[in-house]
Amino acid sequence: MGGLGNLASYLAAHVLLCLVPAFYIAGAMTALIPKPAVTRFLGRSTPKGLSYPAAALAGSLLAVCSCTIVPLFAGIYRKGAGIGPALTFLFFAPAANILALIYTGGVIGVDLALARLVLGLAFGIGIGLLMAALFRDADIAHDAATDSLFAGEPHLAGAAALLFVVLIALLLVGTLKLDALATPIAQVTVGVPFVGRVDTALHQLVPFDATKGEEGLTSQGAALILLLLITGLASWRGLEHIHQGFSRWTGVASALVVLTLVFAAVQVVTHANSLDLIITPRTTGVAAALAATILIAWRWLPRALLRDWLWESWRFVKQIFPLLIAGVFAVGILRMLIQPEWIETLAGTNSLLGNIAGVLFGVFMYFPTLVEVPIAKMLLGLGMHRGPLLAYLMADPELSLQSILMITPILGRLRTWTYVGWVALFSALAGLVYGAWVDGARLAMIALYITGFVALLACGFAALERHRRAMRARNPLPTPSTVREA
Amino acid sequence: MLDIKVLGPGCANCKKVEAIAQQAVLAMGVEANIAKVTRIEEILEYNLLSTPGLVVNSKVVCSGRVPSPAEVSTWLADALEAALHAN
Repeated sequence: MGGLGNLASYLAAHVLLCLVPAFYIAGAMTALIPKPAVTRFLGRSTPKGLSYPAAALAGSLLAVCSCTIVPLFAGIYRKGAGIGPALTFLFFAPAANILALIYTGGVIGVDLALARLVLGLAFGIGIGLLMAALFRDADIAHDAATDSLFAGEPHLAGAAALLFVVLIALLLVGTLKLDALATPIAQVTVGVPFVGRVDTALHQLVPFDATKGEEGLTSQGAALILLLLITGLASWRGLEHIHQGFSRWTGVASALVVLTLVFAAVQVVTHANSLDLIITPRTTGVAAALAATILIAWRWLPRALLRDWLWESWRFVKQIFPLLIAGVFAVGILRMLIQPEWIETLAGTNSLLGNIAGVLFGVFMYFPTLVEVPIAKMLLGLGMHRGPLLAYLMADPELSLQSILMITPILGRLRTWTYVGWVALFSALAGLVYGAWVDGARLAMIALYITGFVALLACGFAALERHRRAMRARNPLPTPSTVREA
Repeated sequence: MLDIKVLGPGCANCKKVEAIAQQAVLAMGVEANIAKVTRIEEILEYNLLSTPGLVVNSKVVCSGRVPSPAEVSTWLADALEAALHAN
């Protein structure tokens, strides 16, 4: 029961105005951004100052799915910019891809999403640079023929750029928690017999307890879930075979998405036998953004791109949504089993132990894409400090056993485990830093911590460099024996 | 005889590309051998940065997206013509 209740209130409250646009944005990024626009900065000849940020950008924009991550990672490593940018890409892709960021911001809070982005960027580039320095001698010889892979200068089509602007406006106007967006501007009263009783019944079915972080379910929520279900069925008919051409069902599915989003943006007040539909600036904003989206997509976007966009968005929904639903269901059950005291003793404060616990939980628990977010929300509700929570959110997507197994054949065992060690260390550090900031530590203190850590690293590197030089003096022809791929 | 390879570790898009290639081959009535390449090491031997990839007679014709059946037909026709000229 806890599982189902959690699922129902989750679907009604969070999914629509945050996740639906997020899926369409992710789909647009995959389908409409020509990959060479980013990958041309990942060739061997690109200077470091450009290739590391470009690798992070590629991770954020192009790689929502592991299908893209592994080949692109291997390509950058073997044929392009080398081990450093490749690992920056690998680190940044799951932590800060657009779906994960939007979703974290919508469910947990914009502060944590920003921390995930900024610290992920800093540490992703840091780990890339570290690994490149550590394994400089072993960075493999590139074959000269492949640099053409990173050539070409295609541009984003004008209509596609406009589409991004409108989709992001849709996301913002739908999810921002601003009072101005919620002021009523018009009200329509519709008579619906017995709707008050339906609401009461729903409240009994899904008990409402704000102290436990539970959310209730209203008749509007129930209607939205129903609409979502119908939209899913229509999309299956309309989008699954979209490569054969658009059908009437494609139109039906799109219309249903529009209807659902607009209805989700209306405030509903229930009386015994009637409903007050309150139109707010949020409602009109969502409606306007949707109208603009349809206009741009249908009038200016080439049909082939429109097809690819709808397909990629639908593919993300098909791939991620079922896992997310199963995950949220499981979280609802878990929440009743875990005692808040356990979490509070272990990670209730921003201690070193708490942050390490967060990282370890991330490494040993494998959750599919995005499920880490509802899990994190549960942990937060159970009393976890935001510092260890960030440590967990950084470590979980990077360090699943599955991803370690996937990159081992490409990198080799030594380099993979070195990478894993760095990620664990840096995630704990990210948690500590962010936690200290949440606790109100002064910036100077945080800067001191980070300087100390960097100094420690620098000493280690100096020692390593001396050792390396000593080795080279003894053995003037270093053999690249550690290179598996050569 | 056309040699068609679908490159990809087995995600939804790779399966889609395979289905579309099969459909194009059937529609054109040409003889073709469609193989799936799923091992990353083998995929990397081709010149591409993202999967799914489609290879016709050892030439990468498309990568990183799902082509339409009409596009695949054009590539198959081109490959047939090239093979004819080579003989």
